[in-house]
Amino acid sequence: MVPDPFDALRLPVVPIDPRPEFAAALLRRIQGRAATAARQTATVRYFVADLDLAVEFYCRQLDFEEELRPSPTFAMLYRGDLRLLLSVPGPGHTLPDGTLPEPGGWNRISLQVADLAAVVEALREGGARFRTGLVRGAAVQNVLVEDPSGNLVELFEPLAGYHERAPSRTS
Amino acid sequence: MATVQVRYIVHDVDAAIQFYCQLLGFQEVMHPGPGFAMLQRGDLRLVLSRPSGPNTGGGSVLPDGRRPEPGGWNRFAVEVSDLAAMIERLRGAGAHFRSDVILGTGGKQALVEDPSGNPIELFEPLRPEARLQSA
Repeated sequence: MVPDPFDALRLPVVPIDPRPEFAAALLRRIQGRAATAARQTATVRYFVADLDLAVEFYCRQLDFEEELRPSPTFAMLYRGDLRLLLSVPGPGHTLPDGTLPEPGGWNRISLQVADLAAVVEALREGGARFRTGLVRGAAVQNVLVEDPSGNLVELFEPLAGYHERAPSRTS
Repeated sequence: MATVQVRYIVHDVDAAIQFYCQLLGFQEVMHPGPGFAMLQRGDLRLVLSRPSGPNTGGGSVLPDGRRPEPGGWNRFAVEVSDLAAMIERLRGAGAHFRSDVILGTGGKQALVEDPSGNPIELFEPLRPEARLQSA
């Protein structure tokens, strides 16, 4: 067999051990690119006095699903794209000055429901406390209800004037 | 598209817009009047309402006279890849922190306040399963 005249010019093929550091870095780069494109799940943390009561309230009355309850002081619930973390205040939450977080306040999640009147009735039957009656505006009617620990939840039903940005404009 | 809505009560909507947009990566969706703004960050829509009179929207005083106010402990979380750098940036901008870095099971976090005193949880995951990515 006639030797290939270009053989002399070819670089030798040297077998190498794959370097784990390089592979890991490559993987990070690939995944990092995918991660920036991926969405972040919106996460909210509520402090509750009684975890069982809270899980029951959010799951039975407001269509949340229980994802994790790894301890008596923490649960992770989902409702669509919302991840709701429920924490019972404890030593791990104490601030350096001794302050302990507590339920309450006015900041709140705002949940869309299809039939507000029906949801309100079911909540009333379940003994829920409301901060407002049903308020009817141009775009939505809404109501402010409290969870068993006194945390606020805003429920709204879209009306004729409701505006939602079209999905394609924010992609 | 934002699919989750959270409402924060703020005293100064303009100052809040500046804080959330310039320091925490939110975008302004609408700011139709001095008492209201809608911001967005990924799946999270943040609506900001100033305490206001009866039947004037999300900041309305209640029929029994109770008036909404900023503060409390409930909050949304923002995932950051470098918590230390974020804290330095926010401190540089004059933001007030409720806590130093707290080490938890899935990551470390710090509690920063917006200009009205509402808490935001800054969260750097230390374990992959604690990440907020939905994909």
